[in-house]
Amino acid sequence: MDLKTRIKSLIVEELRLEDLRPEEIPDDIPLFGDGLGLDSLDAVELVVLVQKHFGVKIKDMDEGRLAFQSINALEAFISERLKE
Amino acid sequence: MKTDCPKRAAAWIKPWTSQSIGSKFQHRIFYALIRMGGIRLAYPLLYPVVFYYMACRPSVRERTRHYLSRRFIRKNALQRFADSCRISVALGKVLIDRASVGICGPDAIVLAFPDKARLFSLLAEERGVILMNAHVGGWQVILPGLGQLRRPVNMLLERHVRDVDLHYFEHGRLPMPFRTIDPRGFLGGTLEMMEALNRGEIVCVMGDRVFGSDKNVLGVDFLGQRAFFPFSAFKIASTSGAPVVVFFSHKAGPTRYVIEIPEVIRVPGGLGRSPEAFYPYVRRFVMALEAYTRMHPYQFFNFYDMWS
Repeated sequence: MDLKTRIKSLIVEELRLEDLRPEEIPDDIPLFGDGLGLDSLDAVELVVLVQKHFGVKIKDMDEGRLAFQSINALEAFISERLKE
Repeated sequence: MKTDCPKRAAAWIKPWTSQSIGSKFQHRIFYALIRMGGIRLAYPLLYPVVFYYMACRPSVRERTRHYLSRRFIRKNALQRFADSCRISVALGKVLIDRASVGICGPDAIVLAFPDKARLFSLLAEERGVILMNAHVGGWQVILPGLGQLRRPVNMLLERHVRDVDLHYFEHGRLPMPFRTIDPRGFLGGTLEMMEALNRGEIVCVMGDRVFGSDKNVLGVDFLGQRAFFPFSAFKIASTSGAPVVVFFSHKAGPTRYVIEIPEVIRVPGGLGRSPEAFYPYVRRFVMALEAYTRMHPYQFFNFYDMWS
């Protein structure tokens, strides 16, 4: 399973997004607001999810803003941190 | 449920904002009196000012009725008027005390905090602490007391750009004693709150106010009718493991305030996305708030309509 698919599966599973399958999440839609429809409290879960499953810490709001734009952005953020 | 806030009045009550009722000039008169003679000179002016607003500005008076009409069953219009005056005078005194702390220094008031050791032991757990306050007692007067906790304090604070009311540290041109988190910021400030808790810091939130467009609210019975309370802080507590410390204060004398911790709420992890999962924890906060209104009925200053 590639990283993007894993991220999507974890989002659906851990955020309990009922009626949505991982493959239905486009790579480039915004995760919050009108895109995937996540809200500020889901962001809290997302921070924990990224740390728990990938060992990557989202240290501050600036990193969160960068990482949480879309699946593409989150994948790029995690890949970069894993390389470090 | 029948309340004594008539429908025709409700129609012209303006939506709540944090903006002060008085003008900058009116505030300055009070500040000048405090400089000249402390609260003893400023308090007496409060009574005619409150009487003017209560008698001549019904829209202002009606704002006090959201709470008072549910707290007291009054058939007599004069009693209702007296209640509105009494609670407005109490709020005015708190605002004068706050200004007095800024102008005359922290010694202008005496803070008693019998539960301080309990809070220190919670901070020693190093998971951070969510201090859940409400618009009661001297919620702004006690801010200098937070310095005693010797931990950085982060405060979720939404401020109106046209607000002329000053915090105590602005009077004394002192450095801001806490870091503010704007709930209108990115993702409602939730990431900043998590970040602060992960560092073992204190995050202060108001448990009785829904900020901005926050949709994360739960209906809970408060004073006999369903009112709306935010549950975001409980979700953050669940995820971070930080305890929610209910933190109220009341004015116990002309210059004396008492800080109390009526509840420490531990929220387990893994509660998921359903708002209902947080109901028992929000309910505990609301029960503590209701108990407070029984003990200090004229020190509840949330003039926002929590019930609509």
